[in-house]
Amino acid sequence: MKKKFLSAFLAGTILTGLAAGAAAQQLVTTDRVGSPDAPNVLTMRANPTQSPNSPSAEQKATFEKVWQSFAEAHPDWQVQFEFFGQDIGSEHARLLEQARAGRAPDCVTVDSFQLALFIKNGVLQPLDDFFSQEEIDDLFPFIRDGITGSDGHIYAWWWGTDLRVLYRNTEIVADTPETWEELQNAALEAAESGVEGVLFNGGRWEGTTFDWLANFWAQGGSLVDEDGKPIFGEGENREKMLRAMDYFKGLVDSGAAPRRVATIKDYNDFNAAAIAGSAAMFFGGHWQHFQLQEAMPEEAFAKWDVSELPGPTAGERATGTGGWTVAAFTDDPAKVEMCANLMREVYMGPANEVIGDLPTRESLFAELPKFQDPYFDKLKDYLVNGRARPGVPIYPEISNQIQITMGEVLSGTKEPEAALDGAWNRVMEAYTKM
Amino acid sequence: MSEHAVAGTAERTGSPHKRAWHLAERPLVWLAPLTLLLLITYVYPAIDVIRYSFTDATLLNPEYAYTTDSYRALIRSPDLPGILWVTFVFVVASVVLQLVLGLLVAMVLNRGVKRRLPGVSVVRIIILSAWIVPGVAAGIVWQLMFNEASYGFLNAILRGVGVSPVAWLSDPDLALWSAVIANVWRGTAFSMLLLYAGLVVIPSSLYEAASVDGATALKQFWYITLPQLRPILLINTVLISIFTLNTFDLILPLTGGGPGRATEVLALYTYNTVFRNFDLSNGAVLAVILLLISIVFTLIYVRLLPREL
Amino acid sequence: MTTIGRTRLADIGTYLAYGVICFFFAGPLLWLISLSIRTSAEIYVSNINLWPEHPTLENYASALNNPLFPIYLWNGLKLAVGGAFGAMLFAAPAAYALSRFRLRHQQLTMIGLLAVQMISPLVIMVPLYRYMDRVGLTDSHVGAMMIYIAVAAPLFTWMLKGFLDGIPQSLEEAAMIDGCTRFGAFMRVVLPLSLPGLTSAFVLNAILGWSQFIIPFILISRPGLLPIAVGIFNFQGTYSQTSTQILAAASVISIVPAVVVFLVLQRFIVGALMGGAVKG
Repeated sequence: MKKKFLSAFLAGTILTGLAAGAAAQQLVTTDRVGSPDAPNVLTMRANPTQSPNSPSAEQKATFEKVWQSFAEAHPDWQVQFEFFGQDIGSEHARLLEQARAGRAPDCVTVDSFQLALFIKNGVLQPLDDFFSQEEIDDLFPFIRDGITGSDGHIYAWWWGTDLRVLYRNTEIVADTPETWEELQNAALEAAESGVEGVLFNGGRWEGTTFDWLANFWAQGGSLVDEDGKPIFGEGENREKMLRAMDYFKGLVDSGAAPRRVATIKDYNDFNAAAIAGSAAMFFGGHWQHFQLQEAMPEEAFAKWDVSELPGPTAGERATGTGGWTVAAFTDDPAKVEMCANLMREVYMGPANEVIGDLPTRESLFAELPKFQDPYFDKLKDYLVNGRARPGVPIYPEISNQIQITMGEVLSGTKEPEAALDGAWNRVMEAYTKM
Repeated sequence: MSEHAVAGTAERTGSPHKRAWHLAERPLVWLAPLTLLLLITYVYPAIDVIRYSFTDATLLNPEYAYTTDSYRALIRSPDLPGILWVTFVFVVASVVLQLVLGLLVAMVLNRGVKRRLPGVSVVRIIILSAWIVPGVAAGIVWQLMFNEASYGFLNAILRGVGVSPVAWLSDPDLALWSAVIANVWRGTAFSMLLLYAGLVVIPSSLYEAASVDGATALKQFWYITLPQLRPILLINTVLISIFTLNTFDLILPLTGGGPGRATEVLALYTYNTVFRNFDLSNGAVLAVILLLISIVFTLIYVRLLPREL
Repeated sequence: MTTIGRTRLADIGTYLAYGVICFFFAGPLLWLISLSIRTSAEIYVSNINLWPEHPTLENYASALNNPLFPIYLWNGLKLAVGGAFGAMLFAAPAAYALSRFRLRHQQLTMIGLLAVQMISPLVIMVPLYRYMDRVGLTDSHVGAMMIYIAVAAPLFTWMLKGFLDGIPQSLEEAAMIDGCTRFGAFMRVVLPLSLPGLTSAFVLNAILGWSQFIIPFILISRPGLLPIAVGIFNFQGTYSQTSTQILAAASVISIVPAVVVFLVLQRFIVGALMGGAVKG
C-alpha cells in the first residue's frame, strides 16, 4: 500500500514537471491568458474562482475554453493574472491603497458590495462607451444602480449575482416554511428527532450580516438613507432590526438552531452538515445546490429542496443578492478597452454558465441554456425580492458591527437592544470620521 | 594591554592599511550597516506610524489633518478594556503554557538525548513541524479539530469516550482558551528549542555534585536547572510574548475574533481597524499601543537582566 | 530500589511523556495529512478514522499540477534563504563589534536591537507599503528581501554575539600582530571559527522566513513573485469552494522542505542557540 502510494506520488511529481515544460507553448496557463510573446500586456487581479486558476478542477476545465477563445480573438494581447486571497476585506483595502498609488492592476474583479468604495474614490474608468444603452437597460435595476456613479456613468460591469435561499431535507421537513414562525416550529420539531433544526452563518464574517439582513429587508428596513447616512439604529428601522435579531436569537434559545451557529463562518459547514445528514434545514447560497449535487449520492440529494427565505409573514420576503463585478483601474484607453472586452467576452454570459452565478441581464437569464431549468426558474422568481447591500463606504463597518452584535446576541452575552445600540454608536462614530 | 600591543605594531610598520585600520577600530563602523538598514526599513516607518496616530487619516481619504482625536476616541472607546483584557489573557496564558510546556518537553528531550534513547529525534521533528505549518493551515486544522458539528475531531473523541461535547468555539468564555491551545500548539517548539539549548550547556558536574550531596531531583531542578536557565528563560519570555502579542493570522481563520468580540486580540483589532474599517489613524494609535506594550516588556526584561551583558 | 531500576523507571516515564507530547503535537498534523488524502465527500464524514475509506493522492496531484505551486515554493525558498543570508551580512560585523569592542552604551545597544525586534511588521504595514511604493520596491524580491533581512538581523546579531564571545580573542590578536588588519583578522580568523554559529543562526532565520506571512502579503501581489506562505491562500476560493482537502495537501507539501532542512541541520540549529541566546 505504502509503496503504491509513494510511486503514485513520484509519478505525479514527474508529470507536473513535464506539464510545466509544456506550459510555455500554451495560450492559457494558470496565471496567463494569451501568448507570452504578445506585445500588449493587461494585468488582471481576480478572485481565483473567476480566473484560469480556479480551485475547482471541473470549472477550471470548462473555463479554459472561454479563455482560449478570448486569447485567440486578441492575439496581440496577453492577460497576466494576480489573485485575491480569501480575506476579502483586506484584499479590497490593499487594492484601494494600490489604486491610490497608481499601482493597481489594469483590470480587477471587485466584489459588488465593495464597488462603491472604488467609485467614490474616483479610481475607476467610466465604461459607458463599451456597453449599449440597451444592454444597460437590460440589467436588473439593483444591479444598474450598483454600478452607476453619482455622475450617471457606469464604472463596472456587474456580471453575476447570487442569492440566499432556504435548503431543507424534505424527508424531515415536508412542508415549505413560509414564515419565521413556521420555520422555527419546523426546526424545533426536527431538533426533537435528534438532528440540528436549522443552521445559518453566525460567526465573525461578512456572510453572517448579509444572510441575516434579508430578514431586516423583508420588513422594509433600510440600513442607510439616500445620502448614504446610516439610519438603521433609529426609529422604525431600529424596531425592525430588533425584530430580525429576536428571530435569530429565538431560534438559538429555543433549540431550533444549535449554539454552534455562532461559530459558523463558512457556507461549507452547511454542505458538511447536509452531507452528514445531521441538519434538517439551512440558510445558504443558491450555488450550494450544485456543490451538494456533486458531493452527495443521488438518492440523498433528491431529498433536498430549495425554497425562498421565510419572512415575518408569507407576504413579506427578501433575499440578499451579491455577486461580482469587473472594473477598469488603468487610465490607458487601449487597456480599458481590453478590460471591457474581457467583461463582455468572458464574464457577461460565459462565466455565468461556468460558475453558476446568475446572469444580471434579464434577457441573458432568459436565453442562456444553462439557466433554463426548473431550479433556475425558481430562482428567477426569488430574484424579484432580491436586495443588494447598500453601495456605500460605511457598509463594511456596519457589517462588522452587525457581526459582533450577532455573536453577542447568539452567545447570550448581551441583550439585542444593548448590542444593537452599541453597534449603532460605533458605526456613527466611524461615519462621522468619514 | 593587548590592544596597545596591536596598535603599536601597526604604527611601527606604518603600513598602507593605516587608514582602513583606523576605521576598523571604530565600533560604529562595524555597527553602521545594521543600524542604517534598521533605520530605513523599520524605524522610519515606525515613526510614520506615530505621525499617523496624530492625524485623522483614513485609507479612503488621501487628505488628513493633525489632531489628537484618535487618542481621545480610543480612551473613550467602550471596546478597549474588553480587548485589552482578551489580549492580556491570551498572551499571559499562551506565554505561561509555552514556557512550562517548552521546558518540560526540553527536559524530557534532554534526558532522552543524554541516555541515548531511541526515537528522540522523531519527537523533536514532530514538535518542530507544528511550528512550521503555515498560520492559515494551522487555523483551518484547528477549526476542524474544534468544530462543534458531528465531524469535529475533538468532540468526536469525547463522544467516543462518553463525555458530552464541548462548545469549543461558540461559548465566548471557552473560545479564547481554544485559541490559546492552538497558539500553544504552534508556539511551543520555539520555546522548547531555546530552553533545550540552555539545558545542554549546564555543566553536568553541577548535578553530579548535587547527587553526591543527596539532593532530590526536585531540589536539583529548583537550585540548579532554574537558576542556570534564568537568562534564557528571560529572553525566551520576551520573544514569545512579542510573537504572541502580534499574532492574528491564527485567530483570523479560527474564529475571526468572535463570537462577538470574545477572541478579538489587540493585533487582530488593529488589523480589522485598518483593513475592515479603513481607519488608518485609529489603527496607528492601536499600533502605538502595541509598541508601548512591547517597550514595557523590554524594560521589565532589562530590569531582570544580569548585569554582565 | 537500585540505581539501574530507578533509571529504567525514569526511562519509562520519559517515554510516557513522549507519548503525551506526540499525541498533542502530532494529532493535528496527522489530521492535516488525513484531510489531504480525502475526497471532498469524505472531508466532513463524522467518523474519526485517520485513514479515510477511499484514500486518494489526487489532492497532491492537483496542488502540484498547478504550475504556480512550484513557483511559490521556489519564491519562498529564495526569500527565506536570501533573507537569512542578507541578515548574516549585516549581523556578522555588528555582532563582532558588540563582542569585541567595549562600547560606551553596550547594554543600551543590545536592548535597542531587541526593541527593533519588537516592532512587528503588523505595526508598520501601511507606512511600509507607502514608503516602499514611493521608492518602487513593491512587487519586487529585492524590496521584500530587504524587509526579511531587517526582521531577521537583530535576532541573528544576538545569537552570533553570544557565539563570538566564546571564541578566544587571542587568535585574532595573533593574526593582527602578524600584520593582518582588524578587518582581515575578522574575515580570515573570526568568521571561519564562527562557522557553526553562523550556520545555525542562518538556518533558524531561514525557517522563520519560510513562514513569514505579513511582509510578502503587503509588498507583493504578482503571483509569480509570491512565496508559499501567501500563495497557499490561492488554493482556497475567495468564497468557499469545497477545497479544504487541496489546501491541506498544499500545506503538507509546504512544510516538507522546512522539515527536511531541519532534519539535516538540526544539530547546527541547536548549536546556534547554545552559543548565542544562552549567553545573550
